[in-house]
Amino acid sequence: MSRKYLLLILSFGALLAVPSVIHDTFFLRIITEAILWIGLAISWDVLAGYTGYLNFGHGAFFGIGAYTTALLMKLCGWSFFLALPFAGLAAGALAVIAGIPTLRLKGAYFAIATWALSRAIQQVALVMDITGGPDGMRLPTFLHPDFFYYLMLGVVAAIFALYWFLLEKAPFGLKVKAIREDDQSAMSLGLNPTWIKLQAFILSAVPTGILGAIYAYWITYIDPASVLGDLVTDQAVVMAVFGGLGTLIGPAIGAIIIYLFKTYFWAYLSDYQVLYLIILGGVIAASVVFLPNGLWGTISGYLQTRNAVKQKPVPQEKIDKGVHHV
Amino acid sequence: MELLPQATVDGLLIGGIYITIAIGFSLAYGVMHIIDFAVGEWIMLGAFLGYYLNLWSVLDPFILLPAIFLVFAVIGYLIQPLVYRVISGKKGNPVLMGLVFTFGLALMFRGAALTGFGFYSHSIPSAISQDSFFIEMGSVFITIPYVRLAGLLYAIAITLVLHFVLKKTDFGRAVRALSQHREASGLMGINAKRISSYVYGIYVGLSAMTGVIIGSIFTLNAQMGGEYTILAFFIVVLAGMGYLAGVPWAAFLLGLVQSFFLIYLNPSYTLMAVFGILFTILLISPKGLFGRGV
Amino acid sequence: MKGRTKVLALLLVLAMSVPVWADEARDFFKVGVITSLSGSLATGGNVTKRGYDLWADAVNAAGGIEIQGKKYPVKLFYGDDQSEPAQGASAAERLATQEKVDFVLGPYASGLTLAAAPVLEKFKIPMITGSAESPMIWKEKFRYTFGTIPPVNYTGSAPINTIAGLNPKPKTALILGSNDTFSKATAEAFQDAAVKAGIKVLKFNIVPSGQDLIPYLSAAKAMQPDLIAFGGHDEELIKLVKALNQINYTPKALLMHYGVTEPAFIEALQKSADQVFGASVWTESIKTKGEVLWPDAKSYADAAMKAYNVPADYTQAGSSAAGIAFQMALIKINGVPPLDEKKRDELVDALEKLKVNTFYGEIGFATEGQFYHANVGLTPLTIQIQNGKVVVVGPDSLAESKPLYPMKAKK
Repeated sequence: MSRKYLLLILSFGALLAVPSVIHDTFFLRIITEAILWIGLAISWDVLAGYTGYLNFGHGAFFGIGAYTTALLMKLCGWSFFLALPFAGLAAGALAVIAGIPTLRLKGAYFAIATWALSRAIQQVALVMDITGGPDGMRLPTFLHPDFFYYLMLGVVAAIFALYWFLLEKAPFGLKVKAIREDDQSAMSLGLNPTWIKLQAFILSAVPTGILGAIYAYWITYIDPASVLGDLVTDQAVVMAVFGGLGTLIGPAIGAIIIYLFKTYFWAYLSDYQVLYLIILGGVIAASVVFLPNGLWGTISGYLQTRNAVKQKPVPQEKIDKGVHHV
Repeated sequence: MELLPQATVDGLLIGGIYITIAIGFSLAYGVMHIIDFAVGEWIMLGAFLGYYLNLWSVLDPFILLPAIFLVFAVIGYLIQPLVYRVISGKKGNPVLMGLVFTFGLALMFRGAALTGFGFYSHSIPSAISQDSFFIEMGSVFITIPYVRLAGLLYAIAITLVLHFVLKKTDFGRAVRALSQHREASGLMGINAKRISSYVYGIYVGLSAMTGVIIGSIFTLNAQMGGEYTILAFFIVVLAGMGYLAGVPWAAFLLGLVQSFFLIYLNPSYTLMAVFGILFTILLISPKGLFGRGV
Repeated sequence: MKGRTKVLALLLVLAMSVPVWADEARDFFKVGVITSLSGSLATGGNVTKRGYDLWADAVNAAGGIEIQGKKYPVKLFYGDDQSEPAQGASAAERLATQEKVDFVLGPYASGLTLAAAPVLEKFKIPMITGSAESPMIWKEKFRYTFGTIPPVNYTGSAPINTIAGLNPKPKTALILGSNDTFSKATAEAFQDAAVKAGIKVLKFNIVPSGQDLIPYLSAAKAMQPDLIAFGGHDEELIKLVKALNQINYTPKALLMHYGVTEPAFIEALQKSADQVFGASVWTESIKTKGEVLWPDAKSYADAAMKAYNVPADYTQAGSSAAGIAFQMALIKINGVPPLDEKKRDELVDALEKLKVNTFYGEIGFATEGQFYHANVGLTPLTIQIQNGKVVVVGPDSLAESKPLYPMKAKK
């Protein structure tokens, strides 16, 4: 396993060097956005993959972060870095307020309740004057490609590292997984499921709010449709599922593949635009049928079985007796 | 001017449309435990078939309903084994897999419809869409559009038919057994796969008919599916997932909320109220209005 | 492990060995097109695309833009904004850095324009949008962004004034708008104009997009408003007319904005579309004199019909006119491709001074005030659907026919 993470650190190092090698700001923008989607996919997966709660209102945290930043910068004249932590705080506060009641809900009820909540928040942004209503908000323009690249890379790498430590190394990860598998027995072990689930919810929300803040400052324009619509959630879900739930690398891979497919398709194949939705839909549906554990889940599953077979050959007599079954 | 009767009537009329959107979906969920993201797309495809059949035959859309049902019931019956395979897999999270799979289907249908039918909005003309009952008694007056009343009557009719089928027929008993105890029902000699296919066919057929109703009351276009998918989800969750008898009440409740907000309160806040109320009810009663959802 | 590292290294090399496009000499113009070819705004986006394409085809059919005796064809480079602001900015960045376009024909919607404009501003590339028109764009005062369609607060008063002058004068109005940028601004413009024209506004509301309005309208029916004015998009307009039919209420006048000129409106509503008022800045029957490409509106409409088999609307016309504005400004400054930064700056100055008569009407961009860089050369028109056709009924100087008023009940 340590090789996997060595590889990750190596690719992080390579990513650090990107702006000095690639001077084309369009490519830098694409990589920046791909990194943003990695962040959104893994932050959704923290709740969905690790605790089993499908949050269909993930976009609300993103939008809250974006709007908080826009409001603080525009109305209070704050600098971006001063506003940034408050974007995370606002998203975290929403997670607490929404999480305490909704985390009692099960399965589809939780999914739809969070979806309804995000829709209600979108409506709030649509009817308020302070948020510009449907017109949205413009932020001060600061278009420096390298700045946003490094900021996005740094933040997402930090999120990744934090998640990896908490979920894969620290006891917190075991607790979370115990609750996903069986609420009741986890409780009998002295765990407090509600508190742990709420922690996971906050862990998912705060980074998402911060990513929303960076997005707002980077794109310079936000409106209820683009940052509070279903798009953010839909894409994060598809990326995470395609890559493989319950891991950090899976959703990251899913984010890169889906985002690059989308971008390259539109940049260079837009003559075939009518086919786009059909192809994307087909890929999603087919991946669920043929890769139910996601791309990464399937690959790592395959590698594990291969290694297992290598390490412990099954004795011939067991196979003859039909005891062994894969 | 007394507006209360009007607000109530309008709320019920909107609720009628919501019943048609959600009832098939609730049935399918009860039996198969599938949250079908493509429900809005079935509605859209049904609407387009109704639109073209109407252009071709000049028959009233309400007369075309049985034909639409048949076509889409067959399509649903044929597509069901694929859906079944996805949601009965041992790996992963079946609910999520079903969601994502049908999300993919929905995108494909939408893309195909945009390619085949274009971007523009259409309307299915009906002989009864031009007029209304008008009742006036002193300061109380009520307007009831014919076509909306027809929509409500249709909604009540399919609710009663479904109720009858589920309670009184062998098929209905099998469906109910299946939604209560999948394993045990298999032991009792119920063919779960066959029954699920029928149910899915009925659900797709009902949704397609809803499309025709919506096309004659409102409009239809290739991108209309998304909004109706959300509505279907919300109503079914409010009713309690898979609890068929809850659907009409949930639908009427949402219809009345909208109607009262539009008439008495600030119309800008209508949708905010709808989503807010749904959210609040789920917090108070986590399994829908009646606590009877699965 | 080694194999995987190799693959990764290979991928990195591939990703980095992006070809760098040199700014080589060329004898054609590179024109970027940023618009919504997909996503929720694809309908309108494709209308702008047809307008831009038609302009490019017409220019190239004539051999190109003639500058100092030599003809330079134009080549369009598309960037789909997918109806998302982030992708609009991304498309702008790609067209600027990779395709190195000389100038840009802009998005269908205002939000996308607001996202693409700062990027183009950074690269100093001029953009004219043939469709976006929200007052918000012009308030930002982008130096490099222009628009051929006048803002809605500039066009919205015309039909109200026409209707206010009819006999018997409408006394009361119900004004509502859908809650999106264009529709809300439209409803507000209607309201301002109604108050100024002495029409009493009984109710003014902004409603959520796509909302079923039956309860609202059946309650409003009790107030018997003479005028119902609604800001919305085509689908919502169709729904509103159907709802009024369903509750059997016919006001003296029913007013909407651009949407009524769209073929889908008449196609979907058939006879019910008749006598609905609208606003526009262009119809295929208006009298205009074009100095370049198409001599009048009719010839443009014929060319559009021939090319796409879809009737041209004001958005398509405005988009083609955006191309003409660039074309005329380029001739003024003797700009030959490729345009460098200095030349593009000159192009902006030339656009600010431009006054040109086209099939679309006069193009002249405001250089100050709330309409900064929006086209204020056009006369806003009041239109009405009469026997399934879009007819100009106001102002008097341009009217083709008398307004039909008051509206006849449908039965």
